[in-house]
Amino acid sequence: MAAPAISLLLLFVAVPFLASIGFSLYNVRLGDPRDPSFMGLTQYVRILTDPDVSGQFLDALLHNLIFAAVVVPVQTALALALALLVKKNLPGMGVFRSLYFLPVVFPIALVAIIWRLILARGDQGLLNSALAFFSGGAFGSQDWLGSELTALASVIVLSIWQGCGFQMVILLAALQQVPPELYEAAELDRANGWQRFVHVTLPGVRTTLVFVALYTTILSLRVFDQIYVLAKSGGGLNEDATRTVMYEAVTAAFDENNIGRASAISVVFFLIVVVLSLIQRRVTTEKEG
Amino acid sequence: MTIGTGLSLALLLSACSGDSESSGGEESDGAIEVWAHAGQAAESEALQSLVDEFNSSQEDVTAELTLIPEADYTSTIQSTSAEDLPEVMEMDAPTMASFVYDRKLIPLEDVVSADALDNRIGGVEESGTYNDATYAVGMFDVGLGLWGNKTLLDEAGIEAPTTADEAWTVDEFDTYVAELAEVAPSGKAIDLGEANGFAAEWGTFTTTPDIWSAGGTLMLDGEADGVLNSQENVDALERWASWKEFADPNTSGTAFPDGETALTWTGNWMYPTFSEALGEDLVLMPLPDFGQGTKAGHGSWQWGATPTAEGNTEAAGAFLDFLLSDDSINAMVEANAAVPGSTSALEQSELYGPDKPLELFADNLASACGSEDVTEECIAVARPVTPGYPTVTSAFGSALLAIWGGADVQDELDSAARAIDSDFADNDGYQND
Amino acid sequence: MAQMTASNPKISRRELKSRIPHYAVLLVTGVLFLAPVAYMVAASLAPASDTLAGFTVFDVTQWGLHNYSGVASSLSSDSTGHLWRFFAVSFTVTVAVVGLGLIVNSMAAYALARLSWRGRAVALLAILLILIVPFEAVAVPMFYLYNDARNTLWIQILPFIGNALSIFLFYSFFTGIPRSIDEAARVDGAGPWRIFWQIIAPMSKPAYASVAILTFLTQWGSFLWPVLMISDPNLRPLPLQISVFAGQLPPAWGQVMAFGVLLVLPVIVVFLVFQRWFIEGVASSAVKG
Repeated sequence: MAAPAISLLLLFVAVPFLASIGFSLYNVRLGDPRDPSFMGLTQYVRILTDPDVSGQFLDALLHNLIFAAVVVPVQTALALALALLVKKNLPGMGVFRSLYFLPVVFPIALVAIIWRLILARGDQGLLNSALAFFSGGAFGSQDWLGSELTALASVIVLSIWQGCGFQMVILLAALQQVPPELYEAAELDRANGWQRFVHVTLPGVRTTLVFVALYTTILSLRVFDQIYVLAKSGGGLNEDATRTVMYEAVTAAFDENNIGRASAISVVFFLIVVVLSLIQRRVTTEKEG
Repeated sequence: MTIGTGLSLALLLSACSGDSESSGGEESDGAIEVWAHAGQAAESEALQSLVDEFNSSQEDVTAELTLIPEADYTSTIQSTSAEDLPEVMEMDAPTMASFVYDRKLIPLEDVVSADALDNRIGGVEESGTYNDATYAVGMFDVGLGLWGNKTLLDEAGIEAPTTADEAWTVDEFDTYVAELAEVAPSGKAIDLGEANGFAAEWGTFTTTPDIWSAGGTLMLDGEADGVLNSQENVDALERWASWKEFADPNTSGTAFPDGETALTWTGNWMYPTFSEALGEDLVLMPLPDFGQGTKAGHGSWQWGATPTAEGNTEAAGAFLDFLLSDDSINAMVEANAAVPGSTSALEQSELYGPDKPLELFADNLASACGSEDVTEECIAVARPVTPGYPTVTSAFGSALLAIWGGADVQDELDSAARAIDSDFADNDGYQND
Repeated sequence: MAQMTASNPKISRRELKSRIPHYAVLLVTGVLFLAPVAYMVAASLAPASDTLAGFTVFDVTQWGLHNYSGVASSLSSDSTGHLWRFFAVSFTVTVAVVGLGLIVNSMAAYALARLSWRGRAVALLAILLILIVPFEAVAVPMFYLYNDARNTLWIQILPFIGNALSIFLFYSFFTGIPRSIDEAARVDGAGPWRIFWQIIAPMSKPAYASVAILTFLTQWGSFLWPVLMISDPNLRPLPLQISVFAGQLPPAWGQVMAFGVLLVLPVIVVFLVFQRWFIEGVASSAVKG
């Protein structure tokens, strides 16, 4: 009964993963009629220590980590705030819930294209127009995607916009399961709004918050689509300020036809994901213990 | 080479691919597949009508055209194994050598008619030849220049040069872009085409004239270190990056024809759009001279036949001969205003020749050379002809994008040169065996 | 469980008044969340020249449907691909992955949760391990291994049917069903297949719903794999096609935005129809996870 799923997972996860370890040791080029030559650990040495290659790779890793370090807390906090806002049983809440959830159904490739136009450099873009309008022209046009300072931040903003509603819904479900008696008891104790939040709400949704944070961390490591769409086909994204590990792997494989290096990047990427998952598991079990 | 597991699995599961339009295999002898890049809309439309015309002009061969976006075109051919390629495919001139190296192209001497081969202009013949064999034939060659809006130039009191000898020096160019930014409605003087992506082939194609004109080049004798990162190149690209302040991002794609900017740095294919929008206001100028005379790129999209066509070379040949006929060439250059690729079509051309609007491009091509021996006299320079070109342009393009974003020019070029040399070393210098 | 449509509570006018600050916050965040969507819709209706002209895009008097007819005629030949075919491909791939995935993964989960067979413990451990391997980590070796299957429909479907996360979600759900139910059926002479299909599966609708929705959202937006494997315009799924369409020169932004509206419209319709399941599904997956 388990055979179909297990054989599919073998073919499309286990075999490719083991193959990538093999590929990473050779100079593998797609479409090259010559046999690949053995390179040993050269690819790994290069992506980790050769400044020309490792510079890009380590930058990419850093961008993933910055992305995670910003998106995980900010998006989770925002999602919790939104969930609290729409939790109240008031007229019109259904509309707001749907509204915040709406971006979740947008494929991230489309999100990147919409935001590319909003963030367009020069005064043509909607954001620059809006800022100029509200500041009475005091705020000059910014090159949001092209500037080293704002490129990654722009990608983070559009990613949060797309992903936040998903977490909001999860947290909303958790909030609705916090027993109302707890709030009533807190009110009897004359706890103010902040105290109720800290002593009733937060402990009530803690497990869900941890889940949401874990899930978002893994997503942050996988970031690719929006970077690719914005950097290729003339989106004007500052590639150096935003490249991610997956972007490095795909460009090495697809643009440079360097399957060996791309495989080495994939293997390292896998190890990083495993290590981070283990750290997180340890942290969460300690908290729960 | 193919990995056994992948292959056997593919065979095992090919039964599952119930898709009726799946390619290859079951077609009759008279049907050929054709792949082309989708770049400028007008060009793609012209090609589509040529294919339709070819199909209705005779009954033996049916060509099926597939358009693949320009941004992914070369990667796609690279990722497709030789037996899955279409019979006939388009390729950008500098990528030809790498496809020959990967055995994805066959020589065309016995495929295309001798008349068509003899009729080619020099530039087209040169870009189609590798290791003394013809692997590609082109319907046209390309011209790269600086286009100006006369009204705005007049407003700033700047006179436009018309011949290569009169090209602005780069110092003059620096002054003029600053002045033109003052008069241009968008506040920006020039569109350098950054919306096309400098990391893509566009970057290499449009900035190499700067470094050639400064006395530099990309590679010499299969080495990039000491060549690509030379002082000449660093200085030239520092200049180039300094123009960002005056450059319109052109997200709309129509900044110059709308009269928003005074200048644009692009190729012949924009002529129909520009001349329709600006009429008499449009002027064509040589690119700025960085010291060794103005330079321009050459080598454009061209056609080749793949090993899939072997055994059916007549069909591929018939299609290629049709594309190389003067009528087809005329139809294509009407859409993209390129330099006609055959001597006879060039002679009849409405655009090229003495006192015609695009005379400059034809003159440039008349003094063409390769990138390893750029002289002061030579104007149109071909990009390096090597199987390692994809790495060269990818490394150079990444450097360009970073430089445009404000990175240190020397650092970026050093790094690009090392990346290229290490890739060449990994592949034994891409020696053909 | 969270619900998108909050029941219409009757509250006094005075209480509503005291909620004004609450609504103000909701409204401001709501506008910010809606702005990119509104921009996309407006740009899809406005003349092409207004897409990048600041607020002019919202000038209702200029709106029309020309971009929609434009995109339909731009994408109507075999060489560029047909608009309807991109939908057909995305639809086929998504339905196949979701449908086959539900069957295969729930079967595997049942076998892991209830049946005893050789290798069960190993398989369970392997699934937990694979759970943390994102698809991205094996995309590059798969690109190389399955290169001969470029431009086919099945290569877009098959790798995504077996899914460790889906198995895990089903597994958690099934282990929560009392064993006495299986036992009773077994006493009546039912074999494992019958027990599963006639008893367990029908009572696990919430699990099926949540897995279906999660898979649907991921698959409908799938981008990385098609970028690597699909160049034939007749086999391109929607997210890949919109990035291709946006990269065409000169860009027809109005048409691109019209394409974007068409791309999300089916998902929004599905979302509105199955609103309740959507939210329950997403939320319960988190609670279980």
